[in-house]
Amino acid sequence: MASNELLTYKDTTPAARLDNKTLNKMVWRSCQLQAAFNYERMQSAGWLWSMLPGLQKIHTNKEDLAASMTHNMDFLNTHPFAVTFVMGMVLSMEQQKMDITTIRSVRVSTAAPLGGIGDALFWMTLIPITAGMTANMAIEGSILGPILYFIIAFGAEMALRYGLMYWSYNMGTKAVSMMTAYAKEFTHAASVLGVFVIGALIANYGGGVRLGISIPNGQTAAEDGTMVDVFINIQDYLDKIVPCLIPLLFTLMCYFLIKKKGFTPVKLIGLFLVIGIVGAIFGIWAGGYQPLVPVPWNVL
Amino acid sequence: MDFNIVECVLLAILTFFFAIDQFSLTEIVYRPIIACPIIGLVLGDMETGLVVGGTYELMMIGNMPVGGAQPPNAVLGGVVAMIFAVKANMDTNAALGACMIFATFGQYVVTLTFTVMSGLMAKADKAAEEANPKGITNVLNISMLILGSLFAVIAVLAYTGGTAMADTLQNLSDNASWLMGGLSMAGTMMRFVGFGILLKIMFANDMWGYLLGGFALALLFGNVDATASAALILVAFIGVMLALIDFKVNSLSKNAGNGGMSDGI
Repeated sequence: MASNELLTYKDTTPAARLDNKTLNKMVWRSCQLQAAFNYERMQSAGWLWSMLPGLQKIHTNKEDLAASMTHNMDFLNTHPFAVTFVMGMVLSMEQQKMDITTIRSVRVSTAAPLGGIGDALFWMTLIPITAGMTANMAIEGSILGPILYFIIAFGAEMALRYGLMYWSYNMGTKAVSMMTAYAKEFTHAASVLGVFVIGALIANYGGGVRLGISIPNGQTAAEDGTMVDVFINIQDYLDKIVPCLIPLLFTLMCYFLIKKKGFTPVKLIGLFLVIGIVGAIFGIWAGGYQPLVPVPWNVL
Repeated sequence: MDFNIVECVLLAILTFFFAIDQFSLTEIVYRPIIACPIIGLVLGDMETGLVVGGTYELMMIGNMPVGGAQPPNAVLGGVVAMIFAVKANMDTNAALGACMIFATFGQYVVTLTFTVMSGLMAKADKAAEEANPKGITNVLNISMLILGSLFAVIAVLAYTGGTAMADTLQNLSDNASWLMGGLSMAGTMMRFVGFGILLKIMFANDMWGYLLGGFALALLFGNVDATASAALILVAFIGVMLALIDFKVNSLSKNAGNGGMSDGI
C-alpha cells in the first residue's frame, strides 16, 4: 500500500501528445472495461488495462508508471460505452503530469455521473427502439432482424467510443494547461468535488444494503372491518433517523479500518463476506430468502 | 432428447463466448435476438432461433442491465430456451417459461463470480505496484476464464440433463436461498471497500461537510421521481459549483498572503 501515498510524479516534464494510433488502440481496448468486473472495485482492472498503451507512452520511468498504474486501480464505475470520455480526460492530465490526487478526484467525479447518462441514452432509448423495430422481423423468420440490430447497436457503441475519446482528450489538453498556475489550489478543489461525489455514491449505490427484519405485531381492523396483520419493520425506523445509514456507516468503517488499522482490501472483503452470510443465516439482511436458522420474524 | 457430442462442445464454446460478451467484447452479440439464431445454427434449427430470440428480446425491453442491477441472466436464459425449444420440441412460450429458472440461476452465478473476483484485485494491485502490464492482462484473462467456464458448464448440464435439470435447480435455489441472499448482500457491501480506498486518498479533515452534503443531496434527488435517474449528475453539478468556490477562495487567499491584489476585486 506504500505507493498509495505518492502524491506527485517524479518526472513532471509534460509528455508529448499521444499519437492517434495509441488513442485508437485504447478505444478498442476500452471494450474490455468490464472483463474483470467485481463488486469491490467494479471496472478498475479493465480500466487500467484499457489505459495501459497511453500510460506506458506517457510515463517512461518505471517508478512513475508504477505510481500511475496503482492509482488507476481505484474504484471505478461508469458507463461501459461512454468510458472513453473519462479516459481522454484522465490521459490529458497524466500527460501534463498533474498531481495524482487531482487526477483521482477528477476521474471519480467524471466517471460516476456518466453512468446514468449512458444508461438513459443507450439501454433505455436506443436499444428498446432498435429491438422494437428488429424483433418482429426476426419472429417472422428474417435473418435481417438480428443483423440490423447488431449494425445499429454496435455501430452506435463504437461511434460513441471513438467520438468521446478524441473530443475529451483534445478538450482536456487545452483545459489542463491553463490550470498549472494554481496547481495546489486546483488539487484541493478537485478533492472537494471528489469527496462530494463519493458521498453521493454511498447513497446511490448503497441503497441495497437494508435490514430485512419484519416482526409480526398482532392485527388491526382495516377500514372495511376485516382484520389485517401488522408488522414492525426495523429498517423503516432506521430510515426515519437517516436513510441509507448502514451504507454510510459501513463506508466510514472501511475508511477507518484502512486508514487507522492498516486493513488490506482483501481483509475487508473477507469481513463483508462473513457479515453478509452470517446475517443471512439469521435472517437479518433484506433479500426475500429463507434464513437457515428459524427466526421469529419475517425476512423482507 | 438425443445427445450429440459435437453439438454439446459447440454449445459450450458459444456459451463461454456469450458469457464474456455480456460484460465486455461487443456487449451486443449476447443479446437474445443475435445469440439465439447463432445457437439455432449449432443445434440445426435457425428458424426457431430467430423466433425465440425475437420474442425473448421483446420480453427484455424494460429489463435492462442498468445501474449495476442484475436482471435474470439473458445468456443462460437464451441458451436453455433454445435447448428446450429445439431438443425437447417445446413451443416458444413454454421454452421461454421453462428457461427462467436457469436465467435466475445465471444471475446467481454472476453474483458469485463478481464476489469471488474481488479477491483478484490484490493480484492486480501487486502487478500495478511492480509496473507490470502483463499482470493486469492476466487478471482480465483469469476473470473471463472463470465466468465463461461456469456458464459453459451450466449450458452442458442443461443440454445433457434437459428438463429434469430445471427441477434440480429449483430445489437447489429453494434450499440454499439463504446462501445466495447472503452472498448477494456481501457483494453489495463490497463496493464500500472501494469507496473506503478512495476516501483514504482524497479525504482531509476539512472535508467532512462535503462528504455528508453529497450523501444528503444524492438521497434527496434519488427519492424525487423527476430527478431520480439523473441524481448523480445533478449532485456533480452542485459539486462543481462547490469546487469552483473552493478554488476561488483558496487562490484569493494565496494572493492575499503574497501581498498581491492582482485579482482587482
